[in-house]
Amino acid sequence: MNDDNPAIRAVVSKIGLDGHDRGAKVIARGLRDAGMEVIYTGLRRTPQELAEIVLQEDADVIGLSILSGAVVPLASAMQEALAARGLDDVLIVVGGIVPAATRADLAALGIDGAFGPGTAISDVVGFIQGRLGRRVDAGV
Amino acid sequence: MTSTDHHALEGHYDRWLDEHAAELAGAGELSTSSGIPIKPLYTPLDLEQIGWSYERELGLPGEAPYTRGFSAAGYRSKLWKMEMYAGFGSAEDANRRYRYLIEQGSTGGVSMALDLPTQIGMDSDDPMARIEVGQMGVALSSFADVERVFDGIPLDRVGHIFTTANCIGPIAAAWFLVLAEKQGVDTSTFDVQIQNDPIKEYIARGTQFLPIEASVRLATDMLQHMNQVAPNWLPISVSGSHMKQAGSTCVQEAAFTICNGIAYVETCLAKGMRIDDFGENIELHFCTEMDFFEEVAKYRAVRAVWTQLVRERFGGTTEAAQHFRLHAATSGRPLTAQQPLNNISRITLQILAQILGGCEQTRTASFDEALGIPTEEAARTSIRANQIIAYESGVPATVDPLAGSYYVETLTHEFRRLIWEEIARVDEMGGAVEATRQGYFQQKLADGAYRDQVAVDSGEKVIVGVNRFQLDDETPVPVFTLNEDGINRQLDRLGRLRKERDNEAAEASLRRLAEVCATDENVMPAVLDCVRNYATTGEISQVWRSVFGEYRSEMSKL
Repeated sequence: MNDDNPAIRAVVSKIGLDGHDRGAKVIARGLRDAGMEVIYTGLRRTPQELAEIVLQEDADVIGLSILSGAVVPLASAMQEALAARGLDDVLIVVGGIVPAATRADLAALGIDGAFGPGTAISDVVGFIQGRLGRRVDAGV
Repeated sequence: MTSTDHHALEGHYDRWLDEHAAELAGAGELSTSSGIPIKPLYTPLDLEQIGWSYERELGLPGEAPYTRGFSAAGYRSKLWKMEMYAGFGSAEDANRRYRYLIEQGSTGGVSMALDLPTQIGMDSDDPMARIEVGQMGVALSSFADVERVFDGIPLDRVGHIFTTANCIGPIAAAWFLVLAEKQGVDTSTFDVQIQNDPIKEYIARGTQFLPIEASVRLATDMLQHMNQVAPNWLPISVSGSHMKQAGSTCVQEAAFTICNGIAYVETCLAKGMRIDDFGENIELHFCTEMDFFEEVAKYRAVRAVWTQLVRERFGGTTEAAQHFRLHAATSGRPLTAQQPLNNISRITLQILAQILGGCEQTRTASFDEALGIPTEEAARTSIRANQIIAYESGVPATVDPLAGSYYVETLTHEFRRLIWEEIARVDEMGGAVEATRQGYFQQKLADGAYRDQVAVDSGEKVIVGVNRFQLDDETPVPVFTLNEDGINRQLDRLGRLRKERDNEAAEASLRRLAEVCATDENVMPAVLDCVRNYATTGEISQVWRSVFGEYRSEMSKL
C-alpha cells in the first residue's frame, strides 16, 4: 500500500434491532480480504452511533446490513445522521433483504448500492471501488 | 455377513475399483456439506469397518437408542404435524392470518412470529423500536395485545401455540398462562410452546439484551414453573436452526444444539428438578438444508445421542424422559430471491429429508421467503407440499425406510461420533455458556459462512438460478405489504393502555419483580403478576436490565 492509493476504510454495521449478522460478517471479511480496512460494529447500533464511528474511523464507506424489512427508514436515518456531521460524501451501501419496491425508494435517496441475497462478494467490492474511484490491490 | 461372503465381496470390490478406476476418479474428491468425505460407493464392508452393529445402533422403532424413531408404527399410526410460521403487523392482522391458516388445514395450531422490539424487550412506542414495529412478526407490547391476537380463536380448539420468545421467554409463558386463566380454559386441553432458548441468541440470532447468565436463569426459572403448573406445555425448544443459518455445518448444528441443551438441563437439575419430570417436554429444533442424506443421518443420530445423555448423564429412568420433541423446520437460507418458484422444489426435498429422518413435527418455509414475509399463496403451497408427501408419495407407509442403507448408516454413525467429540470439547471449555462467552461457537459460524460464500462465489458450490442457470429477466413475484394503519392503531392502543390501566398495581408488581430478581427465588410468580396488571413487555424487561445489567455487542477491527 502506498500513500497515493490508501486502503479504503469501511465500516460494516448492524443498524437497528435486527440481529442476523451472517451476511455482515461475511462481507466484513470479504472487504478485508480485498484489501480494505474494516470495522465491524456489532449489533444494534443507532444511526447516530454509527455516524460517530464513521467520523472517528475516518471511514469512506458504511455498509448497513438490514434483514428486518426496515431498509428505507434506516438508510434514510443514516443519511441524515451522516449529513448532520458533515459526512455527506461517505458512501452508503445496503445489504440484506432489499425488496424490489424498496430499491426505487433507496434510489430516490441517492443510494444505489443495494445488495440482496445471492450477491457475490466481488460485486460489493467492485461497486465500492468503482464509486470511490480507487482500486486496492488485495494482499499488498 | 459370513466370513466367506466377506472375503468374496472384498475381492470383488477391489477388482471393481481397479476396473473402474478412471471413471470413479472423474468426479474428484467429494464431501458432505459438513466436510465428511463421500466415497463413490458404500457396501457392507463399510459397516464392518466401523464395527457397526444393528442391535446396538438401530434396534427397533420405539426402543432405545431410538435411531429408527420414537414410535413403533411411525407415520403409519400418526403423520407428522404440519406447522406454518406466521405473524406480522398488528394484532388484528395476525389474528386474520391465523384464522386463515386454520381454515386451510394447517394442523400445527398457531405458530407466532414476534416482531423484533417485542423479542428484545422493547415496547412499540420505544424510540429505538418505532420503525421495526410489526416488521418481522406481531407486536405484543402487553397482555392486551395478546388478548386481541386470540380474539375468536378458542385456545382448546387451536390445540397448539408456538412462539419465538427467547430472552423474553418468561413473559411469553405468563401471557398464555394468564390467557388460559381469563378464558377459563384448562391448561391441559391445549399446549403452548415457547422457544425460550437464549443461549443461541448470543451465538447466532441476536435478540439478547441481558448478560447470558441472567438469561439462562430466567429461561430455566420459566421451565421449572411451567413444569409445575402446566406440565403438558413445552417450555423450551433448544434450537440449532439459527446457528446453521448463521454458518454452522450440519454436524455443528446437531452438536452445538445438544451442548446448549446440556447447559439448560444441568441448570435445571441444579435447581433440584428431575429429568424424569421434564425430559419429554424438551424440544430440540433443527433445520433442514440441501444435503439430503446428511440431513436424514442427522435426525437419526440426534435421537440416539440425546436419549443416551438422558439415560447416562441426566439420570433419566423412564422411557418418557427420553422421548424429547424432535422438531424440524425447512431452512429459509437455501431459498433464493432469484427464480423464487425454484424454492418449491428445494422446500419439497427438505421436507422429504426430515420425514425420512423420522421427525414428528415439521415447520415449512414459503417459496417467497427470500423476498419478504410470505404471501398466503406461498404459505398454502408449502402446506400442500407436506400433504403431497403424506398422501401421494407412499413415503409414510413403512417405518424408517432408509435404515440399512450402507451410506445412510455410515453417515449416521459418523454423525454420532462427531457429536460426541464436540460435546467433549465443549465440556472441556466449561460448558456451552462459557464457550459462548469465549466466542467459540460464534467463530465457527463466521468461518463456515465465509467458507460457504467463497465456494458459491467461485462456483465450486452450485446454487441453481444464482451462480448457474440464471435468467436475464426475472419476473417479479407478488410481495406481501404491511398494513401501516394497523401499526398506528397498535401505537394508539398502547398509549391508551398506559393511561387507563391500574398504574398503581402495575408499578407495585414491577417493584416486586425487581425484589425477586435479586434473590434466588423463581421469578415466574412475579412476572405473572406483572402481566395480569398489564405491565408492558418493555417495562418488565427494563426491570431485568436494571437488576442484571445490559448486554452490549462488541465492535471489532478486522
